[in-house]
Amino acid sequence: MKKSILFMMLSSLLLASCVDGGGDEQPTDESGNKIVKIMFHVDKNSSEGKAYQKLISDFNTEYEDQKIKAAATFKARTAGGADYEQQLIALQIDNDLPDIITFDAPNCASYADADLLYDVTNDFTQEEKDDFLSLNTYQGKIYGLPIQESSAGFFYNKRIFADAGINVSSYTVENPWTFDQFKDVCSKLKARGVTPVDMRLDATNDETATYLLYPFIYAAGGSFVSSDGLTATGYFNSDKSKVGFQFFKDLVDASYTSYAIGATDFFTGKVGMYLSSGWTIPDLDNKFPEQFPNRDSWGLLPYPKLETRASATGSWSYAITNNGVKDKSCALELLKWMSSASSSTTITNATGMIPCRKSCVTNYAPGSPESVLLNQLAQTGKERPVTVGYPQFTTSFSDVIYKLRTTNDISATVDAAANELQSELDKR
Amino acid sequence: MFSKNILLVSALIILAVFVAIFVIVVILDIKKAKRLQQKYTWKRTLTALLFLLPACILAYFFVLLPIIYSLAYSFTNYKLLKPNQIEFIGFDNFILAFKEMFNKDQKLSRAVLNTLYFVVLVVPLQIGLALLLALFCNAKMKGNTIFKVCFFTPVVISLSVTSYLWKQILSPSESGMFNSILGLFNIPAKDLLNDPKTTMPTIVFISAWQGCGYQMLIFLSALTGIRKDLYEAARLDGCNAWHRFWKVTVPGLRPTVLYVLVTVFIGACRIMVQPMLMVGYHDNSVTLSYFMYEQGFSNQLVGYSSAIALLMTIIVGTITLLQRKLLGGKK
Amino acid sequence: MKEKHIRELINNEEVVIVKKNTISAFGKVIYYLVGACLSLTFLFPIFYMIAASTKSEETIAQHAGTILMFIPDFAHLGTMFNNYKIIFGEGYNVGRYALNSLIYAAIAIVLNIVINGAAAYAISKLTFPGKRFFNAIIMFLIIVPVETSIIPLLSICKIMLKLTKSLSILAIILPSAISIFNIFLFIQFFSSIPKEFEEAARMDGANTVKVFFKVILPLSKPILATVAVFCFIGVWNDYLWPTMVLTDENMYPIQAALTTIQSIEGIETGQIMASLVTTSIPIFIVYVAAQKYIVKGFGAGGLKI
Repeated sequence: MKKSILFMMLSSLLLASCVDGGGDEQPTDESGNKIVKIMFHVDKNSSEGKAYQKLISDFNTEYEDQKIKAAATFKARTAGGADYEQQLIALQIDNDLPDIITFDAPNCASYADADLLYDVTNDFTQEEKDDFLSLNTYQGKIYGLPIQESSAGFFYNKRIFADAGINVSSYTVENPWTFDQFKDVCSKLKARGVTPVDMRLDATNDETATYLLYPFIYAAGGSFVSSDGLTATGYFNSDKSKVGFQFFKDLVDASYTSYAIGATDFFTGKVGMYLSSGWTIPDLDNKFPEQFPNRDSWGLLPYPKLETRASATGSWSYAITNNGVKDKSCALELLKWMSSASSSTTITNATGMIPCRKSCVTNYAPGSPESVLLNQLAQTGKERPVTVGYPQFTTSFSDVIYKLRTTNDISATVDAAANELQSELDKR
Repeated sequence: MFSKNILLVSALIILAVFVAIFVIVVILDIKKAKRLQQKYTWKRTLTALLFLLPACILAYFFVLLPIIYSLAYSFTNYKLLKPNQIEFIGFDNFILAFKEMFNKDQKLSRAVLNTLYFVVLVVPLQIGLALLLALFCNAKMKGNTIFKVCFFTPVVISLSVTSYLWKQILSPSESGMFNSILGLFNIPAKDLLNDPKTTMPTIVFISAWQGCGYQMLIFLSALTGIRKDLYEAARLDGCNAWHRFWKVTVPGLRPTVLYVLVTVFIGACRIMVQPMLMVGYHDNSVTLSYFMYEQGFSNQLVGYSSAIALLMTIIVGTITLLQRKLLGGKK
Repeated sequence: MKEKHIRELINNEEVVIVKKNTISAFGKVIYYLVGACLSLTFLFPIFYMIAASTKSEETIAQHAGTILMFIPDFAHLGTMFNNYKIIFGEGYNVGRYALNSLIYAAIAIVLNIVINGAAAYAISKLTFPGKRFFNAIIMFLIIVPVETSIIPLLSICKIMLKLTKSLSILAIILPSAISIFNIFLFIQFFSSIPKEFEEAARMDGANTVKVFFKVILPLSKPILATVAVFCFIGVWNDYLWPTMVLTDENMYPIQAALTTIQSIEGIETGQIMASLVTTSIPIFIVYVAAQKYIVKGFGAGGLKI
């Protein structure tokens, strides 16, 4: 009896060993179409998801003759963002990744380092590469193409600003406000009895706080990691970086911002300014007619400067994966389709964000929120630190932001975070 | 596909080891039975093994193998995204773990302290509450089933739902439920979950609130199992209610208390979901399981994370065995 | 049998005695007051959740700090269920995913009872050499934390999925069909079933399989209910594992839909609360249906370790 069980298990395991992960050839369906799989990080019912679906179905009509068919899966990342990553990891364990994935730009280094992504440097002409506002590179090679671009800034309630007698029309991307002028505006707003600004200090459970707040450190002249991405001490806790962190602390101490601002407080007129990315524009246009009936009721201000100007960039990108399929021609066709100028326009029309190609950029009216974001991208955009230890970096950064509420000694807090980040980077 | 072959070969070796141990135990048992002049019948043994077979196969593949693999990973530098570059690195992970454990700036040392704090507070609180509620529901009163259902309701609502709910209730803004009540008494708004002084006590309270209904039911079933004649005898001996509680109820509950103590202790050592969903990965909230999860998934250091798990298992296992030895008494 | 009979007699007498010793009316009032207060302590977050799920963001803010926080928004009967409409609308497939979860739970419950019950029956009631080995392994596995073994478990399931091609449902069902803790609970309960029942059946010529299905399981309704409830809760609340092993979106469980809803940018508190209520209702129904068995499920005399 026991022998037969053993035999059964043995044979099943041996059988398992014969099954190899992924063939060399592009898999095909019954009618001989080559199936290219692509995975998106958004809910398929969102406006962005619908735009992707439209692009995929257009691709399938266009390439019917060539017998290539794209199959899309949608795996919405939740607020924490961890589950899309875990889905990738689950697929990667068995070399089962789709041919094309989407990924958050700062993860490029760690994915490329793990040999997850296919190097597309030689598959695009120089002209095409130049057309992109940015590319996802690691050690000089291109691994990803942005879906769209993003930048952030301070949305402000024009009615509240007018009530407080604040004029901000002179603050442009070319000549932004300084840290001190920012505090000055805050103090006037506070004097009017409104909470001056929602800095999203509470959004430390996911990437939001890092994405919105890291430019301040660059603006103060600071930095995060060495150019090889492996050293944090001396960079993350340099004197100038500390000046940037101190600025947040000053805002908290002066009650210009707090950790207790509700998610909709800006939209209901309780807060004067709201630090957020371009994805807030459609919400302001459509969702809150009482407070924001039209575009005259709100505006967008750039990031303030200290030593230099700096603003947030980086969005999600497409990449071809090393999933065992040797012949990447079909995946490349789909990648080129998805990142084409017309596709780019389709997506940005749905999301309200900035196109990733220079040729798609329309001429926005000067002073319009879109033009502020675009000018920031072109002139002051600085990407998040490139390091294989990006997840560890964002943990440490969020940790400092989290601790500002209780610590009195910024310098010690930042030092401790830098040491901890260093020991995490050393483990890799 | 180098690693996959290792996976398969090792699976077979592990199976062989377990079968060998089982065979040795069987031989020992048969010898012992002979000495005691008992006999095992072939037919009965075979039926028993057949009954065990499905559970054994599933447990082997889905419980035992994963645990043993993660044990093996703790001696390697396995990184989540690089499964094909595993190297054996001896005790490096454990040395690193000990270094971090005794460096007060590291998350691991905080994780140890927070877990310890949580366990020391939540175990007595939860068991005490459960016992009180059980005694309350055990009173012979009409309609106390409703109370039972009420006390048990938080147990059936999932951890993530209750965590989310409490996060909303304790929200630091003045319109949050808790702070709006404080506002009625002119007490300034508090941020219980994020103030380092109150983070763990709040989580302790919420965990006890959520969990004690389950232990209450276990105590209730134990209370109904205590022989009624013992109470009667005690009553006839002139004991008052208080004495009866100490002389009859407490000894009758003893094995159950041990069981509840052990399970609540093991569960408390594994706390992760509440700090993860309500606070995040910070010094005041990180726990051992949460640290393991972050190292394994976010930082992709599966080897290191497995080493921590192994250390934790050894510590928790030892304490559990000690509890059984010290409090088990005679069977 | 004799001893049992005597015990029953004593128990009957006890009932008579208690009836004589009735508690004073004042005591009763105190008892119910304390009970009500305690119940409120346990339930207020749930009342809050249900109430908030019927309100708009503004109403929630208005009601803050008043008793209205715990009362659904009856003032706006027409818009009370708006949050639910949003959640069930726009093709989030809540219904389909809920059905998936129900199917997974049903299969998992049946397998759990048969597989773990059979193993526990062998360990607690049958005599065979090597029993110690299984007892030791069960004790060991109860202590070990399982969270870290999720990555090797994933590798194993992926190999299994490759073998069975498309039967990805197996990767959800099989790991949830085995529960060492349930085996432990079953052992405890079976040990409290008197030998006489089994012996009587054997006299009538029933074999072991028949005894298990016809005698032991019918006598074990309390533990079956207990295991079923906890198994249902486990499957219903599971989110990460199914989305990791399933590649077909149409097979996702209910939690996938609800986490998607919660991840929408700018979602209102009330809508999140509505999604939490939606997830909790089926569990609550299952629990209330099974609740009269659950106390007994831990076996007379409680659990021992």
